[in-house]
Amino acid sequence: MTQFRLTFLVGLKEGILDPAGQATRNVLQNMGYQADDVRIGKWIQVVVSAKTEDQALTIGQEIGQRLLSNPVMEYFEVTVQAYE
Amino acid sequence: MLTYQDVGLSAREDQEIVRLLGRRPNELELGLFGALWSEHCSYKSSKNLLAQLPHQGQFVVQGPGGNAGVVQLSADWDIAFKIESHNHPSFVEPLQGAATGVGGILRDIVAMGARPIAIADILKFGTDEKAPGLLHRVVEGIGAYGNAIGIPNVTGSLGFSAVYDANPLVNVLAVGMRRHGLHVGADGARPESVLILIGQGTGRDGIHGASLLASQDFGAETEEMRPTVQVGDPFMGKLLMEATLAIVDQGLADAVQDLGAAGLTSSTAELAYASSVGVVVDVSKVICREQNMNPYEIMLSETQERMLLSVPKKNLAAVLEILTWYEVPYAEIGRVVAGDFLRVVAESQVLAELPTSVLVGGCPRLPVTHDVWIWDGDQPAALEKTRLELTWGYQVIGHPDCRDRSSVYQRYDSMIGLRTVWGPEHDVAVMHIEKGSPGLCVAVTAPARWAALDSYAGGIGAVAAALSLVATQGAVPLGITDGINAGNPENSEPHRKMAALIQGIGKAAEIFEVPVTGGNVSLHNETEGQAIWPTAAIGVVARHPNPEQPIADAPPYAGTRILVLNPPGKPDLGGSVLAEILGHPGSYPVLDVGAIQHSLHFLAEIISQAKNVGLLACRAVGIGGLFVAVAKSLITKTPMALGAHLVLAEDADARFVFNEMAGQWVLFVEPDFKPFWDQVFETHGVSVIDIGLVTDSPELMITAGRAITWPLIDLWRAYRKGGVRDVR
Amino acid sequence: MNNDLSVGIVVFPGSNCDHDTIAAISSLGAKPVVLDYRLHSLPVLDRVILPGGFSYGDYLRSGALAAAAPIMDAVEQAAADGLPVLGICNGFQILCERGLLPGTLLPNPSGEFICQWQAVRVASESPLFTGLDQGRVLRLPIAHHEGSYRVAQGQLAELFERGQIFLQYSDAEGQLHGLTNPNGSVANIAGVQNRNVVGLMPHPERAMAAYLGSRDGWDLLASWLGMGENAVC
Repeated sequence: MTQFRLTFLVGLKEGILDPAGQATRNVLQNMGYQADDVRIGKWIQVVVSAKTEDQALTIGQEIGQRLLSNPVMEYFEVTVQAYE
Repeated sequence: MLTYQDVGLSAREDQEIVRLLGRRPNELELGLFGALWSEHCSYKSSKNLLAQLPHQGQFVVQGPGGNAGVVQLSADWDIAFKIESHNHPSFVEPLQGAATGVGGILRDIVAMGARPIAIADILKFGTDEKAPGLLHRVVEGIGAYGNAIGIPNVTGSLGFSAVYDANPLVNVLAVGMRRHGLHVGADGARPESVLILIGQGTGRDGIHGASLLASQDFGAETEEMRPTVQVGDPFMGKLLMEATLAIVDQGLADAVQDLGAAGLTSSTAELAYASSVGVVVDVSKVICREQNMNPYEIMLSETQERMLLSVPKKNLAAVLEILTWYEVPYAEIGRVVAGDFLRVVAESQVLAELPTSVLVGGCPRLPVTHDVWIWDGDQPAALEKTRLELTWGYQVIGHPDCRDRSSVYQRYDSMIGLRTVWGPEHDVAVMHIEKGSPGLCVAVTAPARWAALDSYAGGIGAVAAALSLVATQGAVPLGITDGINAGNPENSEPHRKMAALIQGIGKAAEIFEVPVTGGNVSLHNETEGQAIWPTAAIGVVARHPNPEQPIADAPPYAGTRILVLNPPGKPDLGGSVLAEILGHPGSYPVLDVGAIQHSLHFLAEIISQAKNVGLLACRAVGIGGLFVAVAKSLITKTPMALGAHLVLAEDADARFVFNEMAGQWVLFVEPDFKPFWDQVFETHGVSVIDIGLVTDSPELMITAGRAITWPLIDLWRAYRKGGVRDVR
Repeated sequence: MNNDLSVGIVVFPGSNCDHDTIAAISSLGAKPVVLDYRLHSLPVLDRVILPGGFSYGDYLRSGALAAAAPIMDAVEQAAADGLPVLGICNGFQILCERGLLPGTLLPNPSGEFICQWQAVRVASESPLFTGLDQGRVLRLPIAHHEGSYRVAQGQLAELFERGQIFLQYSDAEGQLHGLTNPNGSVANIAGVQNRNVVGLMPHPERAMAAYLGSRDGWDLLASWLGMGENAVC
């Protein structure tokens, strides 16, 4: 078994209202920045043990779906790299 | 091509639309019908039943039909209040579903021109492994919205049963205050006024929420509706609330309507219908959050935090100035005209035009059934003659329905606003209004088990229980609001049970002379044929005579006499927690409403007139019966130094101690006033029995032939026993 | 009577304890002056309060968006010039985000909002709070989601040495221990001060009358206003 680092980006699906992003955008605009849109999400790192990188990614897809994202309103992306 | 099934209508309703219009509706029009003729918007299955409830009363300013009922509290202040449900959305997405439920009912109160001052949550959850997680997230959602917008959550009710596994209930009561004499609502729009849509940009969220999500049973396809979930934004809700109240306070709008279920469609159509005017809505003017939204989506979006204002032209500049100040987005989306129609246009092109008399008023209602559910007595009856057991005390007070709720209510801000004299740690909330003014008493009940078999008796009991709570404060009930939750109305049994429940509520409201000023009906709480128990959430608002000094709910010192006011002549465990524990649920007993009414009057008289009859504390008997009422009076005191010794008749058994028949009270009175209380049946015609006294030993002892002793610390442990947290 | 004492109360979008704070200040006989967050300068004032409650919905990080509001430049300047500034709850978070107070407020370890009555002990006498003796225990409400006070490594001793720790969560007798720490704050810290700037998590403005559960907030605010026992009813 080898250890792999899974990195997740979890964000709100397109079309789902992001009140925090909206308020942050407004403040950035008030500060003088031309911020046209802000979306806020989460960055999550998980270290897993697996036989291969492919298997680690499969685990990543699974836990992203089952726990780390709320499929009702969020999407996620997962990337994998060797963990030293 | 969109069909009637796609928008949740029946073939019969489709035919009726064609008959009333004299033509086939186009697709957009069909969508509007789908929304407004949905169960959620039209109340088609319940309206005729609800019409039987008494709506009139000396304090009623506005009865059902508006966004919320309004009653008069004092010469200066009116109270707007209503219960709303958000059951289905909370199951699909617990946090956001509950949060938007809070936001929605608060906007209803604001749309009446009232500033919200309190919310209360009435929750029912299942007993399966999913329930604790659902509860956790629902509480998170209620807190997230209420805490952020800054309205205290002052009381609540939480119960559990397997019947709610797949259909948890999330009902929220909101209460607001407005100056007496101020009239605001959806019914004042006049031709020439401008329609302004304010608040959040419209997105594709929640399309068909009313027609499909809230008006059908759950099944496999519910999964696919998930992308339509709405997100609550309490920050925008706060800005919207402040801006709307500023506009209303200055009398700048002639009508206000919040956008709830069916969004722009229901708000414009209902405002037009209530005001007897026509409205023209230009969808091209609506601010959209997403690209390329079509008129159908714009009209049916259920994006939260939006409000519709009808503003006379002369006030327009002042209104826009207020909206700009509060940074609330707005758009002029149409106008009010003479007529009786909703016309949807995109610039100069007419997309839909429907008479509101058909769209709002034309939905065929289910006729009142006289075939209401009547309990025929063939069900398993409660146990007869049951000897009191030590373990029952712990089992009952440790039952999920009786336990301490601090792990829930400490997640809510209960103190913001400087009005909360008594918050969720008590059975009833007491709110301060202003110096020298009467206060407000708020209580909620939802005794679901009672209505499980005999819904009619359960309906009466629910109202009696709510009124019993405010009576402990000598508060005068001004009105009640009912949240009816039931199964699929197209199935006979759930429908007949709902009918019985509403009849019970109506009967109680009539006898106790308290009007029902509005409420909510949530049907289709049914999954794969398994319906919930018909469940009434009852909220009551009452005038508190002396809010700075509530009547205590715990005895002050040892030696205090303990009395029971209005003990039942024939105590019956039916519908009680103990009966459930023993596996003989039985049926809730039909109450002696005359005796209860008498006792309510008596309490109001001695407390509100400050008659010195030695009354030191008072608590209503509720879930868990007399035992839990006495025990809570002892274990919620810090330090836990006082106990009680109850001496009951030798043949008194568990039925006396654990029955949950509403309309009983535990009274704690000064020993010096014993003569008054001994005579009270002769002088006042109310039945009172002396059951013991408060001791300085921290235990509850009951002697009925033999003596049983419960150390308070053990009762406290059972009461606290992880509460909800353990289950999680 | 201190009718001449004017107290600025900054209202950010989403602030929700502003009404309560205004009521509390009025009841103490001082004059509340509402300050809109868009202001670039302050009028002549004797005190400034940043009230509690969800400015900008607590989005991004509690207090972060409000700390960037135009008025905060003016508040920072006034604080540097010696104007007493009090941040309550969200106001405390804003002052930390702005760097006017040391440390930061993290989410409660439970991950949950918490609202309850809480005893707090005056950790050190402060020239900002005359008459509020060290060791005095106050009963005040707390209501927050991000109240777990933390400082940079090694900073804690310095704060204590300089007497910058103002309030600590305690039991009713003033004892400090883990059981009385509602939110995992380091050293039970409930309030800190930095010269004329002070921040606290509890809500004194909610404890202004016995019928609301406590009148200790009255004592605390009266002391901050320099009114001592002379505050009017």
